[in-house]
Amino acid sequence: MTSDPLGRLPHGIAFRFVDRVLEMTPATRVVALKNVTVDDPHLQGHFPGNPLVPGVLLVEAMAQTAGLLLAEGSSAVLAQIRDARFRRPVVPGDQVRIEAERLGGLGGLHRFGVKASVDGALVAEAEIVLAETS
Amino acid sequence: MLATRLKLAKAVDEIADDTPLFAPAGLGLDSIDALELVLGLEKEFGVVVEDRAVAVRVLTSIRTIAEFIQSQGKG
Repeated sequence: MTSDPLGRLPHGIAFRFVDRVLEMTPATRVVALKNVTVDDPHLQGHFPGNPLVPGVLLVEAMAQTAGLLLAEGSSAVLAQIRDARFRRPVVPGDQVRIEAERLGGLGGLHRFGVKASVDGALVAEAEIVLAETS
Repeated sequence: MLATRLKLAKAVDEIADDTPLFAPAGLGLDSIDALELVLGLEKEFGVVVEDRAVAVRVLTSIRTIAEFIQSQGKG
């Protein structure tokens, strides 16, 4: 891996929910890390005095991880979220390990199985469809 | 498979073998439904729809899907 694999994400830094790529099998499977810090601005209001990573942001992190499997230079948007489950709360200090596996596709649509875990325990899972826009 | 995978509002017996799947006058399915069908066919019948061109031909109606499965020797 010579270039920064996160560089292929179209998202600006302010809306990037993946910190590091651990493993990458192009177009097939990727494992990434997201560190949850207490100064994360999204947690200031969710909830005051009781910071908890919103489930939608876990979905976004899983979708961005899946997006790393798309061809370089392509960008995509969420087209479907299936069977999303949030099993445990994710809080500051947690290191979230996100795994995405490509399940198949048709045309510009790609489906991925995604899982997020903290310390080996599953915290969220879903199936996600991304639609390439370019 | 069609009804359960796509969560259709129609009962199975309301869908004829020749009901168009994607035309608005038929079931009005969309491209995400098509992906669901392609992955479902692979999982449940072991047949592979390689690309969009094949999908357009195969996913016309229940009849064309059945014919495709049979042509692959999986019927």
